[in-house]
Amino acid sequence: MAGVWIFAENHERILELLNIGRQLAMKMETRVCALICHKPERAEEYIRRGADEVLVLPPLAGNQPLDAYIPVIVEESKKADPDIILISATSRGKDLAARIAARLNAGLCSGCMDLKFDEESKTLIMERLAYGGAAIQQVTCTTRPVMATIPPKAFEPALPEEGRQGQIRELPAPSPSAVQVLEIRLKERGTKDITEAKVVVSVGRGIDKKEDLALSRQLAEALDGEIACTRPISEELHWLPEELCIGLSGVQVKPDLYLGVGVSGQVQHVTGIRNAKVIAAVNKDENAPIFKVADFGIVGDLYDVVPKLIAELKK
Amino acid sequence: MPTIIACFKWVVDEAYIRRGSSGELDFSSVDYKISDYDRNAIEEAVRLKETLGGSAIAVTVGVPASSRGVKDALSRGTDQAWFAADDTFGHLDSSQTAAILAEIIRARIGQYDLIVCGEGSGDLYAQQVGPRLAENLGIPCISFVQKLTIDENRLIAERKIEEGIEVIVAPLPALVTVLPDINIPRIPGVKDTLMAGKKPAVTIKNDELPAAGKVLLQTIGLVASRLERECEKFGTDDAEIGRFVGLLRKKGVIG
Ligand SMILES: Cc1cc2nc3c(=O)[nH]c(=O)nc-3n(C[C@H](O)[C@H](O)[C@H](O)COP(=O)(O)OP(=O)(O)OC[C@H]3O[C@@H](n4cnc5c(N)ncnc54)[C@H](O)[C@@H]3O)c2cc1C
Ligand SMILES: Nc1ncnc2c1ncn2[C@@H]1O[C@H](COP(=O)(O)O)[C@@H](O)[C@H]1O
Repeated sequence: MAGVWIFAENHERILELLNIGRQLAMKMETRVCALICHKPERAEEYIRRGADEVLVLPPLAGNQPLDAYIPVIVEESKKADPDIILISATSRGKDLAARIAARLNAGLCSGCMDLKFDEESKTLIMERLAYGGAAIQQVTCTTRPVMATIPPKAFEPALPEEGRQGQIRELPAPSPSAVQVLEIRLKERGTKDITEAKVVVSVGRGIDKKEDLALSRQLAEALDGEIACTRPISEELHWLPEELCIGLSGVQVKPDLYLGVGVSGQVQHVTGIRNAKVIAAVNKDENAPIFKVADFGIVGDLYDVVPKLIAELKK
Repeated sequence: MPTIIACFKWVVDEAYIRRGSSGELDFSSVDYKISDYDRNAIEEAVRLKETLGGSAIAVTVGVPASSRGVKDALSRGTDQAWFAADDTFGHLDSSQTAAILAEIIRARIGQYDLIVCGEGSGDLYAQQVGPRLAENLGIPCISFVQKLTIDENRLIAERKIEEGIEVIVAPLPALVTVLPDINIPRIPGVKDTLMAGKKPAVTIKNDELPAAGKVLLQTIGLVASRLERECEKFGTDDAEIGRFVGLLRKKGVIG
């Protein structure tokens, strides 16, 4: 009973994987099986949206981490022998995928941006970034199952279809785990989705202090755009939320205009702005790498240039 | 007193990679470094040792030239190093690297309490070696840790998840992968570098290791990515600012 398996922690990610999973299954003339651990009442919906089978993981005990599902998924996979397992590349998804791959002695393409089934060789050819985004690496798996983690939003959500049918089955409950969740500290919600923004003003470490973000915000407003940042700003300094970090470990954006302010333009950041129509930058170092990948660059101190830009835009 | 192992990789500094005329990767002027986030892994191991006592051990798998990295890791405060060296170790996949690390840790180091890995390596950024290593050793794995405390024979880790922070408690021995905000890695001084030369470092050759197992993830293509842009530079006087904004308007990317 081969097929394409998908697993994700939440609804949006499940729908994205159903879309790509369905596309692959049609080419490979096989079925899609969705493993879900969240809202079993949605199983029927997943069938309408592309699953032929839904395997429901029973709820975790109060303090059990998600990785308690690993042995259950591995056992089921050994029985069912899927061709492909796709897992959403969330933090916990990435961890789970690597550990399942280790137990199944399977190859895993992390951060897989594209997958194509080659009819001739009957292999799945996958693409990912390497060297911080400086290179595109094509990979295949040499054993079964083929595994990949898929970055959130890499694919559109699957749409419902009339008349689809499928089975729903419950998997065994996970055994107690030695590792326990003491607490989950939820962060504030409601950050803007910069992946859809038309104009993005991205701030980097060229900003001296957190208060000076206000200046960049004013610029973003004058451009009717959203603010975003480099990884040091979100991850190391915590001046902006992680959802706003662009790049290899952040999000990919595709605005009409990307404007980097005090951003050096290292490859790991720039790889996230590849699909911008126009790339512009303000940096005081004329040798900053960002100028090599920007259409228009102003060489100057952002504290001098940004107010001038705001004034010019208001004219 | 705990034994803490830090796994690090000696990688190409990606900032020096060029795109060759036919789209190939040009490594002719590259330099090498300890993978950025592995410096955080080493720093965390050393800090824990400095507060709890015990020892911090650096382990790496790489080509023979990675011995420079071994010295670097020792100058960053680790007490000893294990280095599996072979010409073929530059192109291992994550499962093979994890298998070799597991072998060194099990057969050579033996007793340990904690393994610290980076969040992902600078070249592959597969984010797999840590979790795979934990599975090979049959110990708990906590990935993407921002804060770590050791308390008796368990660890408490704050890990980043999409919804916020998950606080995890796990028995030791365990493996963690750490995010860059867990600490600020020290910059070794001249004295540290001198001391590093005197610390024990064991090099293990390929023929002293069991076969690493076959490649599970085969690379069938590797090309430089493209980002060709107009690269026009502007000054900061009013005329230049005006011209810059004018061009953006002309391109139709702003209102
Ligand atoms: C595995 C890995 C993954 C990574 N993933 C990401 C990622 O997803 N996203 C990301 O952004 N980074 C990522 N990074 C980090 C990346 O390598 C760079 O370190 C980071 O992008 C640099 O951020 P920055 O431009 O803000 O800071 P810096 O590199 O410190 O640059 C600051 C720039 O500001 C300029 N400047 C200073 N003062 C002024 C001024 N007054 N006016 C104008 N300009 C000024 C300087 O000339 C400099 O160019 C990753 C790194 C690794 C190893
Ligand atoms: N060759 C290696 N030698 C030692 N540790 C490694 C090696 N490759 C990867 N690691 C460790 O595993 C982590 C994740 O690497 P990767 O799976 O390649 O992204 C790194 O941050 C290191 O801590």
